[in-house]
Amino acid sequence: MNADTARSQHSSDLLHRLLDEAFAPYPVTADTLDLKQEVRANLAARAAELQASGTPASEAARTALAELGDIGALLESGDSVPASPSWVAEERRHRVRPKPAFAVRISVLAGALALDVLLVALQLAGVLAPDYSWIIGQLAAAVLIVGWIVADALQQETTTHYPMPRGRAIGFGIASALVVAGAGTGLQMVQGVNSAWLLLTGFCVVVAIALFTFLGVTATNRAKPWVVRRQATHSEVPNRFETDQAAASRFGIYTAVIFTVAFVAFVVLSFTIGWAWSWLALVGGFLVMMLVLARMLFGEGTR
Amino acid sequence: MTENPGADVGEVFAADLLRGHTDTIVLGVLRRGDSYGFEIFRAIRDATGGAYEIKEATLYASYRRLEKDGLVEPYWGDETQGGRRKYYRITDAGRAVYRRNVDAWVLTRGVIDNLLDTGKARP
Repeated sequence: MNADTARSQHSSDLLHRLLDEAFAPYPVTADTLDLKQEVRANLAARAAELQASGTPASEAARTALAELGDIGALLESGDSVPASPSWVAEERRHRVRPKPAFAVRISVLAGALALDVLLVALQLAGVLAPDYSWIIGQLAAAVLIVGWIVADALQQETTTHYPMPRGRAIGFGIASALVVAGAGTGLQMVQGVNSAWLLLTGFCVVVAIALFTFLGVTATNRAKPWVVRRQATHSEVPNRFETDQAAASRFGIYTAVIFTVAFVAFVVLSFTIGWAWSWLALVGGFLVMMLVLARMLFGEGTR
Repeated sequence: MTENPGADVGEVFAADLLRGHTDTIVLGVLRRGDSYGFEIFRAIRDATGGAYEIKEATLYASYRRLEKDGLVEPYWGDETQGGRRKYYRITDAGRAVYRRNVDAWVLTRGVIDNLLDTGKARP
């Protein structure tokens, strides 16, 4: 037992040494280290498999590495990125036209939705004689139409994105429909708070939030390769807060000051003028913060 | 071996054909669930009945290509005795490309079967 563990210890040492030798000729970059780490775990798994089938430990490590093939090709065929054509040219080359049937479907649905909302609004405004059961039916129709539009649109391939898988698209459709349902049932409470409506609104909104969160957390890339490469090169646009730590901390202090002032103003205005207008102080604070952010990120300091 | 001189040529040809579809094959393995290098390698080896071993370096090149195109997303897994494993997850874009490549393959297979008159061509 002891000899066995000692031998396997020895073989894993050998593996690490062989790996070091294989990677020695290449410059140590984050990319190289990343690949080395990945290769290391896989080689260990392959060597363990070989050993399990009776290969001696030292030979297993060598065989595993020999089977790997040429890593040099991976490390050298690095970042010789050719000059990329303009966004417009690439967009034209990868252009995907919307399907005619989809365009017709969406136009009809959008028209129906607009008519539906208009009728509800006219009834609520008292221009048309309001009919309660009609309004409920129309809200239900709006919920269905919105869900359908969202699910249908997400399943379409576009110039920049692949279609979303059917299940996820339907999930987004249901979540959007629930938001509309929540807003619709919330609207009912204009005539007075009713615990049944309140419960329904809360249910719709909570489920919608949960669904959106789930879909958001499990989301993966849907962008096409040419867009991904574009984004990779565009991420090199300098971000001042990353290069200039002092600017970042200055912005933090400014934000704290702005919101302290805005909050004090909010409290003072609430007691003097009243709730109806005091919230404007917070909006003002937010606006000032965004202006400061814009000036500091992209202002004179940037190259 | 000597009884069938065509065997060697046949194997080389099949390997070439297979290599041309490495990216789609990797996406196909990842469609069944997240996986790391050696597990993907083993899945491909087992699927070919051990007749053909794809070089692991070929697979690493494939992972890099797929990652750069946004078709798979890598993440580091738990520590094992050998080191941390790099797992790959197929993205929605990866699924779409996989489906498209499989459709293209099915179409091409039919055409080639037709041209080569293998008797397996579908109408």
